[in-house]
Amino acid sequence: MIGYIGNILITICLLASLIQSSRLIQDRLVIDQKLFTSISFFSILISFLLLVYLFINSNFNYEIVVSNSHSEKPLIYKIAGAWGNHEGSLLLWILVLTIFNFTFGFSKIKFVNFKDKVMAFQSLIIFGFTLFLLFTSNPFLKTEITVSEGLGLNPVLQDLLLAIHPPILYVGYVGYSLVLSFAIGGMITNKVDNEWAAWLHPWALVAWIFLTLGIGLGSFWAYYELGWGGYWFWDPVENASLMPWLAGTALFHCVLILEKKNILQSWTILLSILTFSFSLIGTFLVRSGILNSVHTFASDPARGSFILIFLAIILVISFGIYAQKGPLLDSKDELKLVSKESSILGNNWLLLSILFVVFLGTLYPLGTDLFLQKSISVGPNYYILTLLPITILLLILMIIGPNTKWKNDKVSNIIFSINKLFILSLAIIFGFSIYFSELELTQITLLTLSLTLVFVSIKNGLRVNNNYSIIKPALGKSLAHVGFGLLILSVVANGTFAREKIFQAKVNDTLQIDNYTFKFDSVEQTKGVNFNAITATFHLMNDQTVMDTFTPEIRVYSNPPTVTSETSIIRKLLTDIYVVMNVPENSNFVNVRIHVKPMISFIWLSVILMAIGGLSAIIFRFKKIR
Amino acid sequence: MSKKVKKRLITVLLSFLILIIATLLITMNLRDNIIYFYSPSDLKDAEIDRQNIIRVGGLVKESSYNYDEKSKIYNFVITDNMNEISVTYVGIMPNLFAENKGVVVEGLATSKSSVTALEVLAKHDENYMPPEVIEALKKDGKWQEE
Repeated sequence: MIGYIGNILITICLLASLIQSSRLIQDRLVIDQKLFTSISFFSILISFLLLVYLFINSNFNYEIVVSNSHSEKPLIYKIAGAWGNHEGSLLLWILVLTIFNFTFGFSKIKFVNFKDKVMAFQSLIIFGFTLFLLFTSNPFLKTEITVSEGLGLNPVLQDLLLAIHPPILYVGYVGYSLVLSFAIGGMITNKVDNEWAAWLHPWALVAWIFLTLGIGLGSFWAYYELGWGGYWFWDPVENASLMPWLAGTALFHCVLILEKKNILQSWTILLSILTFSFSLIGTFLVRSGILNSVHTFASDPARGSFILIFLAIILVISFGIYAQKGPLLDSKDELKLVSKESSILGNNWLLLSILFVVFLGTLYPLGTDLFLQKSISVGPNYYILTLLPITILLLILMIIGPNTKWKNDKVSNIIFSINKLFILSLAIIFGFSIYFSELELTQITLLTLSLTLVFVSIKNGLRVNNNYSIIKPALGKSLAHVGFGLLILSVVANGTFAREKIFQAKVNDTLQIDNYTFKFDSVEQTKGVNFNAITATFHLMNDQTVMDTFTPEIRVYSNPPTVTSETSIIRKLLTDIYVVMNVPENSNFVNVRIHVKPMISFIWLSVILMAIGGLSAIIFRFKKIR
Repeated sequence: MSKKVKKRLITVLLSFLILIIATLLITMNLRDNIIYFYSPSDLKDAEIDRQNIIRVGGLVKESSYNYDEKSKIYNFVITDNMNEISVTYVGIMPNLFAENKGVVVEGLATSKSSVTALEVLAKHDENYMPPEVIEALKKDGKWQEE
């Protein structure tokens, strides 16, 4: 019964969005977009809640619940199980699409015709994904035989952060669908100007903030849950989320220029198309199972081809309209080489170069597999070595850009505004290099530039107006740039100073890494809610006193049968100490790996700073408009 | 030449230069960092460069796995039921490593049938089979659909 209602509701959404999207090609029949959007939104919302309800009740009449849940699972993971699989997460994806359309429908934009076209195109996207859901991935399929117990959710996924990770990531991915709809609506109604950019600005930022947080959360999860000690593996699935982020970052910087200077119209449109295309490509990579990844998602070739066809349709429509309208969009203003516009545009190109490098590295193995029948993978060094020079240029432009005036500026002015902070950073890094440990030239370059970026951005954020109060609209930009500088700084510092050591240890052994001495205290069997565990206890010693206690675990889950290593991490202000172990079969010792990871907390902090920066840019803008 | 044309020319030349440098950088780094995957049968027929890191994969052969406590060296044999590769490894064995299960090993080939592992990759749930291993087994006709 519940599944029946769910299917009817999804069909209602399918029809409503089809009717809405007809406004793209016909002007005769006027459609109350607000009403229809509300219908789609509420029908998808209710069917999503019904799905969650099935999971909470462990209703094993439904395939999706059988394959992804278990009656003994804690409640929170039963709920999260609803979107911890392909079908449910696709329903969530559509829910977010309709939320964006719904919220946009009730925004205060006065230009009715524009609004109509934006919502029509957004509805077309909703229609496409709903079709996808109904015909290849219906979440409300009944089981053919009676089942009394479910197979359970992969224990690696039974984690609080991972429960909220997909919804956040999807708001980011899907947010860019509305950006594309803005581009289409703007082109059809000839409204790609500074006012259009001002309307788009908060939406582009919302998507960017959530995508930033989503990537950060995923990385944080991989760090403590997978137990490999790293936080970024240049894995296809990670790259899939990084690519739309890079395009989206370039995009909203362009939206800024368009809003202020009314130039770069066609470029901004192109970036809007590009960004959502990469959201779709990312989805394709993750769900088609076409690439070898460390995190596999349930995969099915039919799903992959549907997404590719959908992407092709979106691209044909977008570029069709662009070919007609694009050349007419641009205003005649010319760019001066030394100006804020130019430095932002330069950074745009650098971001897209990074995107290209990542794209190539992600898809190259696919190409060789298809055309040369050779199975290969691309090592992380490809990314590191290729992105290094681009990152250096990016940092330089980020340092000088915000200190350059719009329109036209003098090089001497720019140098004057940053030279002291640059020399200060250089001195700090050099002092550090001499006093602690010798650094290589590339490390010194990266560390100095990122530290300069942090200092310069802080200084820009603290700039005051005539009343001696901080200029709030500039605060967001500064925070986000401090975040990025800190990100590069901590990534490089972590890469340079991280240590790891592997021990084969028996109880009462003493383990030594750098200046840290550990004592292996005990091993015991413990029992959790739905797993059995072997827990070891290690003390971090200072002479004879115990400073900290680490308790890494090995968990044995029975539904589905899986063994996982739980890390034990203690965060100090500057350094994480990270202990993970496992027990080889038939052995009388445990394998312990201890990582000393400096600056790792600052990586998470910098992601949060970027997100807060984006948020404060939205908040203080709204005040300005009123 | 007018000022405007000159400016355009410089822009075009500069973009070309950047494009060339970028292409060189990307292709060189890509070439140096590609890791090839071999099944035991592939490795037997392949030209082996002892300097390059490779990946090999297949099933862990039954009762081939042992550990020497003194030298701290793990030994096991990867098989595709036609050919075999013997692997030596110093480090942490992943939890999911087991005989008769799929495994992928990253390391250096010391001969056409032996590899010194730098990393053993077996990072998934019990049913997980690395895609390369499935592919390798299929090619040799040893793969059974469930």
